[in-house]
Amino acid sequence: MLLELKELNYKYPGSVSDVFRDLSCRVTEPGFHALFGPSGVGKTTLAKIITGEIGGFDGEISTRGTDQVLYTFNLERLPGWHTIQEHLQAITPAASKDKIEELVESFGLQSCLNSRFAQLSLGQQNRTNLTRYLLQDFDLMIMDESLANVDEITKEKIILKIKAMFPERCFLYISHNVVEVSKFCKQILVLRSHHKKPQAVSLQGLDLRDGRALEKMALEQSMLEIVNAA
Amino acid sequence: MLHRRIYQFLIIYFIGLTALMLVKYSLNLSDYTVPGVNEIWNTYRRYFGLYLMAVLNTLAVAILGHILSICMATVVGIIGRLTIWVGSFIRVAAYNIQAYPIVAVAPIIFILLGDGLSSRLLIAAMICYFPLLLSFIGILSEPVAEIEHFFDSTLRMNWRLQVKIRAFENIHKLVTVIVGSATLAMVGTIVAEFIAANAGIGYSIRIALYQSDLAKILVALFLIGVCTSLYLVFLEWLGSFIKKRFGSI
Repeated sequence: MLLELKELNYKYPGSVSDVFRDLSCRVTEPGFHALFGPSGVGKTTLAKIITGEIGGFDGEISTRGTDQVLYTFNLERLPGWHTIQEHLQAITPAASKDKIEELVESFGLQSCLNSRFAQLSLGQQNRTNLTRYLLQDFDLMIMDESLANVDEITKEKIILKIKAMFPERCFLYISHNVVEVSKFCKQILVLRSHHKKPQAVSLQGLDLRDGRALEKMALEQSMLEIVNAA
Repeated sequence: MLHRRIYQFLIIYFIGLTALMLVKYSLNLSDYTVPGVNEIWNTYRRYFGLYLMAVLNTLAVAILGHILSICMATVVGIIGRLTIWVGSFIRVAAYNIQAYPIVAVAPIIFILLGDGLSSRLLIAAMICYFPLLLSFIGILSEPVAEIEHFFDSTLRMNWRLQVKIRAFENIHKLVTVIVGSATLAMVGTIVAEFIAANAGIGYSIRIALYQSDLAKILVALFLIGVCTSLYLVFLEWLGSFIKKRFGSI
């Protein structure tokens, strides 16, 4: 069991309405999974509860075998006193140093290495931020819109690379893009309004990997299931 | 920049002097009350060297006091950014104490430390310290979540890194408040000298006041204005250098 939430209840301090009411779901195996749902349904809140950034909830969260949980979001910035290369060298554990070059090349960041973060485009900034997280030790990584502002072709390349490089790790990819979620994710947790029962529905995605062909019918079926569930 | 500062001061100074002369001649005041232009010029020639040394003495103390206050504000700001009770206590204490006029405390400082350099330095530092402190505490206790999150998540965050991130992200504000507080340092030193010290231009103004010699006071004001403007020009140059070097990246 990588992650299990049992009857989670939460409302923000001072708020009268619940964010989660008896929310239960589980992720049982490693892979590239998705947390999908409409805006404001509580995806980021759930991510922060899982990482421990938000407390004061009722219910149970079990992360047995998942010691290191990282959460990354798309507005993060790197300190301005380093170039990208200097920063990556400074924050990468010794065991992952050899991955820097591979990730930088796969994510198309070679031309950014001598620049500072503020000098990059939004897409380059998000790719750089994700790269430094992937270089850390983690068992579960929650990626909150981490590939926003990245073009579709590069995004596909990046997701396939992540799946190929980290097959034993668990990812929870927060996105509003139903196509990429259906196409690339293994398990899709669809988060719904607290008025709906159950609040989270688990669906199977196509889990596309490098070299495999995509079945158009299966993709359409998966997308339809996700939209209906949401 | 140099020209602008000096021109601004000269324009204001000579407008003030002209207004004083208008009052003198329209009300037919005696030379004893308001000296004439000739007397002011003669006093300027006679006391220029002496007063210039006194102003430079004051400026040196003001610069030292300014540096001291920046150091104190940095240290207290670092402690005040803490979320534990010490930080909270320091923040509240800083807000309360800054409302208290330092000039009212100055006699105690003179009684305890005498009328030498240490009293002037302490009062100068205290007068520009509180505005600096409030800004420093505000800047250093405000998290920069978009940058700090990574270091918190990966357990790399320590107090030095946190201070570095917050100071770096607010370099423009820090430079502005440091330049702004320079005038206060000069004011603080002159006030201290005027109250009880035995050197500096504030002391000279006090002597001139006892002699009811307005010409000397006008000469002192002129030299104070020129020297303060030059100090501000230097700080603005330093500030723009820091902003160019670090602020745009």
